[in-house]
Amino acid sequence: MYLVADISVEICAAKSCKLCTQYCPEANTILYSDEMGKDKGFKYGSAYVAVDRCKGCAQCVWVCDNMAKNNAIKMIMIDQLPKAALTDNITYGEKSTTAVLASPVVG
Amino acid sequence: MSLDYVKFSNGFEKFMPKEYRDMVEHGPFGKKISVSQMGSFKEVLEEHPMCAGCAMTLFIRLAMIAFPNPEDTITVGTAGCGRLAISQAAIPFVYGNYGDQNGVASGLSRGLRLRFGDKPKDVVVMAGDGGTADIGFQQVLHSWFRKERFTTIMLDNEVYGNTGGQESGMTNRGAVLKMAPLGKKFEKMDMVQMAKVAGCAYVATVVPNNPRRVESVIKKAVLIAREVGSTYIQAYTSCNIEYAIPTDKVMEDAKTVENDRYAFSEYISDEAKQYLTERYGYKEFLPKPAAPAAAIPGKA
Ligand SMILES: Cc1ncc(C[n+]2csc(CCOP(=O)(O)OP(=O)(O)O)c2C)c(N)n1
Ligand code: SF4
Repeated sequence: MYLVADISVEICAAKSCKLCTQYCPEANTILYSDEMGKDKGFKYGSAYVAVDRCKGCAQCVWVCDNMAKNNAIKMIMIDQLPKAALTDNITYGEKSTTAVLASPVVG
Repeated sequence: MSLDYVKFSNGFEKFMPKEYRDMVEHGPFGKKISVSQMGSFKEVLEEHPMCAGCAMTLFIRLAMIAFPNPEDTITVGTAGCGRLAISQAAIPFVYGNYGDQNGVASGLSRGLRLRFGDKPKDVVVMAGDGGTADIGFQQVLHSWFRKERFTTIMLDNEVYGNTGGQESGMTNRGAVLKMAPLGKKFEKMDMVQMAKVAGCAYVATVVPNNPRRVESVIKKAVLIAREVGSTYIQAYTSCNIEYAIPTDKVMEDAKTVENDRYAFSEYISDEAKQYLTERYGYKEFLPKPAAPAAAIPGKA
């Protein structure tokens, strides 16, 4: 198993700085959804990780902790994530994306 | 090259992979996008085999977002880590033999001008410090002296990263690397000064820990190269493998190096300033309004 980044919607949707989306070295990996967190009553959306593209470098953790000072991102073993975003379940819209979360580990 | 190549051929839409459909429908082509929208649109760069956490990949990612017209851009690269990612983008990529990239780009840029006349087609070279300052040095300098109109970007990781850690001309004096165990004996080459002497119209140094700044320098460099002359960007893009930087400390390193010895710098010729102002509406080079006369103390 290996580590991937996991963003806490509770923390991210309260701040919504989007810094991690600009500092992830991988393209199309940390995405932003205006919808995410709405069901939990948050005003803003949240960043989230397409875990099939995450290489586990944890640069986003440093950026979120030290630049944004939000501490919203943790590295988690992929099989410890019950549900996560995967590229196949992500839809791009005009200004934002939406993701249907699914189990990231098959079998 | 044009918006025509980023659409589905009739009847093929439903057979194309998701990544391709996303690219056509929600990519940056024909739109004005910026780093502030990152995470909300499909980027042209796809998955690639560069190392986890490599600052060079972040820089390449930002550069591709900054290209003013990705649908009218061709990238040129060469041996070295960067081409592993640059070649995996929805932007045509030409691979020059190691060190040939600026010669290839010179011919390409001239050919495109003959073929397409005034319609701008942007040529952007991205190569490592070894490819640019050592092996490709002669072709780089000659393309600048001849004022070839394209952008050269050095991905300066201060080492031959792809081949396991030999020193390059851009390695710092004293640096000990796997294949330079006694430490480098000479100073880092001053390619910025050389670019100015050789007549580049725009020269900038940048570090990827400021995405907006990367975006701004790439846009200016590409636009100026359309008509005014050669442009050069030297980007510090650390190799976390050869310099043993933990991946979660790569941005901290970038910040330290920026403060110590890689400060942002920008040189722009008067002709290029005038061109950006008149042709693309840049305001930053307009004469500053005269400051109001200082109030004289004691007077009403
Ligand atoms: C003519 C030729 N000589 C040598 C090589 C082997 N080679 C491949 S990549 C590389 C070094 C690349 O270093 P640099 O240009 O600094 O780029 P980096 O990998 O550090 O990004 C070398 C020597 C080659 N591909 N072609
Ligand atoms: S070897 Fe170094 S420069 Fe090359 S991809 Fe890996 S970290 Fe980046």
